[in-house]
Amino acid sequence: MLQRKKRMCRFCEGGDIYIDFRDEKRLVRFLTEQGKIVPRRTSGNCNQHQRQLANAIKRARHLALIPFVSDIPR
Amino acid sequence: MENLYCTIFIVDTSLNPDEAETVSSRIQQLVEDHGGIIRKINRWGKKRLAYPVRNNSHGFYVEIEFTANSRLNIPKIIEAEYRLNDRVLRYLTYIVSKKELIQREKNAGKRAARQEQEEALANKLTVAEPETAPAEEKAETVTAEEEKTVPEKEETEKVPETPSAEHETEQEVKKEESLEESGVEEEPEKSPEEPESGETGEEEKSST
Repeated sequence: MLQRKKRMCRFCEGGDIYIDFRDEKRLVRFLTEQGKIVPRRTSGNCNQHQRQLANAIKRARHLALIPFVSDIPR
Repeated sequence: MENLYCTIFIVDTSLNPDEAETVSSRIQQLVEDHGGIIRKINRWGKKRLAYPVRNNSHGFYVEIEFTANSRLNIPKIIEAEYRLNDRVLRYLTYIVSKKELIQREKNAGKRAARQEQEEALANKLTVAEPETAPAEEKAETVTAEEEKTVPEKEETEKVPETPSAEHETEQEVKKEESLEESGVEEEPEKSPEEPESGETGEEEKSST
């Protein structure tokens, strides 16, 4: 009964080859309120882009662009 | 193999604002001494950190790109320097992949296209401004006329309503009086509550 729209990978739609860790605004979209990486089943990303995204998020976290943990919901 | 490296580091500038420059010049010197070529220096400036690093809420970001042979092992040397320096809060050094370069070119192309579009729009706007201005004035006058006409209609509509409402209330009041008199005389125990409640409801509606 529940028919969900199959989400397309946003990066594939945009034709992006590489996900830059520098633009944190884009990465924040793929984080939960707590700062966790959103899984592929909810974000709809393809395998390659999800892996790239995970790497980008980890780099951004290391450079304090993105929080590791944020308890306060925005 | 010749690689393009990118190194980013965060400097604590709370004590000495020139610290970022000294560190970046030191890194540049190291790279050039060991046979690397600096391609780009990008100062992001002082930014707020997403979480406190060594009790610092802000840090100065500097990005340096350089090309070097992988045998020279420059990243190792640079990172040793970062570790020795207490003012450097965080650092990241990586090899820029071909994909990233292609993506950068794409983004640059997109930006250029956007700028062109914006410029075209700006030119159009400058041309179109005198045309649009009178149109707006016309629109204003039209609305003003509408405003003038609308209240008249409302008044005309209101005028018949108010007297009729008054008549109704008067009629109701008369009915109430008659009903009360009749109710009291005929059935004093049961009937008075029901008609009174209904009538009060009507009164409220009419008044509003």
